[in-house]
Amino acid sequence: MRTWFKWLLLLSIIALLTSCVGKRELNDLALVMAVGIDKGKEDHSFKVTAQIARPSDARGQTGAPSGQTGEPILSIVGEGESLFAAIRDLSSFSSRNVFWAHNQVIVINEDLAKEGISQIIDFFTRNPELRMRTWVVITPEKASTLVSTVTGLEMIPGEAINKLFRYTQISNIAPRTEIMDVQAAYLSQSSQPIIARATIVETNISNKKPEKGPTIKQVDLAGAGVFREDRLVGILKPEETRVLNLFTDELNSGVVTTPCPSQPERSTSVELRDQVLEVTPHYIKGKVSFTANYDSYALVVEAGCPFTIDDEEQVEELEKTMEKELKKEIEGTVKKLQTEYKTDVLELGKVFHNEYPGHWNEIADKWTEIFPTVNIKVSVNVEVRDSVLLWEETNSGKKEKSAN
Amino acid sequence: MKVQISNGMFMALIINMIYAKAIGVTQGSMAREIGGDIWIATLIATVQGAAIMFLVICIIRRMPEGDLIDQSERILGKWFGKFIALVTFLFFLAAYGPIMSTFIYHLKDYFLPEAPTLLFIIAAFLLGAYAIYFGVEVIARMALIGVFSIIALNILLMLGSLSEFDIRELRPTFQMGLIKTVWASRHHNTDWAMATIMAGIILPMVNDKKTWGRMGFAGIGYGMIFIIMWPILEAGVLSPETAAQYIVSCMQMARSAQIGQFVHRYEMIMIAFFALSILTQIMMSLLCASVAMQKIIGLKDYRKVIIPTALILSTFGYWINFDKNRAVDFLEGWWVYICHGIAIGMPLMILGLGLIFKKKLKGKKQTKEVT
Repeated sequence: MRTWFKWLLLLSIIALLTSCVGKRELNDLALVMAVGIDKGKEDHSFKVTAQIARPSDARGQTGAPSGQTGEPILSIVGEGESLFAAIRDLSSFSSRNVFWAHNQVIVINEDLAKEGISQIIDFFTRNPELRMRTWVVITPEKASTLVSTVTGLEMIPGEAINKLFRYTQISNIAPRTEIMDVQAAYLSQSSQPIIARATIVETNISNKKPEKGPTIKQVDLAGAGVFREDRLVGILKPEETRVLNLFTDELNSGVVTTPCPSQPERSTSVELRDQVLEVTPHYIKGKVSFTANYDSYALVVEAGCPFTIDDEEQVEELEKTMEKELKKEIEGTVKKLQTEYKTDVLELGKVFHNEYPGHWNEIADKWTEIFPTVNIKVSVNVEVRDSVLLWEETNSGKKEKSAN
Repeated sequence: MKVQISNGMFMALIINMIYAKAIGVTQGSMAREIGGDIWIATLIATVQGAAIMFLVICIIRRMPEGDLIDQSERILGKWFGKFIALVTFLFFLAAYGPIMSTFIYHLKDYFLPEAPTLLFIIAAFLLGAYAIYFGVEVIARMALIGVFSIIALNILLMLGSLSEFDIRELRPTFQMGLIKTVWASRHHNTDWAMATIMAGIILPMVNDKKTWGRMGFAGIGYGMIFIIMWPILEAGVLSPETAAQYIVSCMQMARSAQIGQFVHRYEMIMIAFFALSILTQIMMSLLCASVAMQKIIGLKDYRKVIIPTALILSTFGYWINFDKNRAVDFLEGWWVYICHGIAIGMPLMILGLGLIFKKKLKGKKQTKEVT
């Protein structure tokens, strides 16, 4: 009896632990690499474009396609009253099961973003199949066009956008927004969401007609969209986004180009390292204010006019010019966000909340109205400490023909 | 020969018994009440858990050869013993609901959304019944391996999420005030309660009686170290509001972790490494409930009641978890009150009665020793 029971138990366990429930074969899957969301034809409806990889034609970057279609991706469009309905619509004409786990990027059209993205945030954070590290971008173009645009060396546009984001750490022209960041900012009481912005520009030169210059369109990261709650209220340009990143992210480096004091038609490029923007909140007599102290050290990476770090006067002058330039940039962006867009994407509310939790409770509900009125005092300190490899000025040896 | 487990195994059982539910389901419940202070509530609950564990160890020390039920029987007789056994059974019956919530929602919601809830109930039933048939020693040995998998999971998750960590999310502390933070710790107290009542049943099987206290506290200490990382990371990486949104916030955390480009989405890693902990919870609940059932009926061996006990617990677990709203309501409401009532009330009652009937307890003990 006991042996019989043991065998029954063992067989039941084996049957239950085969992991066959819910199995999906790789051959049956349509792997979505990017998704674009536009407004549908009907009011309050969505148009979802799924960019699906065609594995047989997307082998490597330069490998010959074996699928013989010449197309590494298949873009399909579905429409519905909700995202779920639109995605269900996709499955009605996809020969394979649409699989979202490999989705790299969610592209949202700006017109749709202006009407609110809470439904999009909810859908993409509720569904267990989707990644939380998926990039999110807004675009003034049709999202369906952007997700279908082959960019750079990659065969698959979704993969290309993924790589663009990976290397924006160098240029800082767009924030690196993942769906989990957007969700956290939207749920937060004190912060507002920001989303990277991408456009389509003609930057690539055709190998067949190089004389025509750049004619091939490709995706370009270009600034950020700022939101109030879930609605897009404004756009920050790439240079303004660099300032925004100072407030919200840790920046390793940045580049500032300033005109040479002696020859304004020429410029000097300086790489900023170890940038730190320390924001200190103040609460004096019921008024909220902030001081933002920017600190960085700099390397002269390119000099259009003769420059040597040995010349203290010249270094000091460069530092002052840069400080002035940076201060203007920071104050300009802050002012734009305060007066034009009136939305706290700088996380100032969070900083104040951390320092003055008691007072924050008093003003939390009114923060949207208070934020545009708060005084933010900016101070900038840049120290030029390095001129990379060169010590002497780059000057012509033929003094009389020198650039000087 | 009576089954004996080593002190290290006892410590491993405590750690595994609390870990699986405490890192995610509990943190989600607490985050809904106190936001970023979940790590403080976790620490407060650990202190409370240590106090109850101390109480249970003190009680068992008075009569090391018997568990809480045996001691109750000796103090006030057979029927009081049966009453305590019934209360213990009800405790583990109620505990099985949240334990199955943890098991089902980790696997079903994040891995197998199309699988029926009953599948998980049956799997837990079969695995649990099979394991406890071989006794506590088998489960304890498995729990030892479970500790290593817990360490591996913690290290991997830390590596995959530290880059996104923002300390500002943990500030300011005591946002909702001290009282609310202490009150929120009741959710984590329920995890410790499972470990302490379990200790009240299995302590007599632990080898070295002199070090019971030390190992009990070491189990609590290590348990706390392994768990505390989670609320800190959940608040600092996901944000307290996001952690509060999810029923199983640790899985959301795992879903957000990645190392480099190719190791991303830790759901699989998470399930693989936390499986032993959740299985320990399932098995120990079934074991303790079976022991209680055996003592209610008055049998010599609990093995005869494994199937009926497991059937009762599984039916309850299915009923609770079939409806997610009911499951979370029970988890955050009734279970908390049932758990606190029993986990604090029962040891205190036995301790008090033991002090009142000290001579009776001592007398019988001496008589037994003479015989």
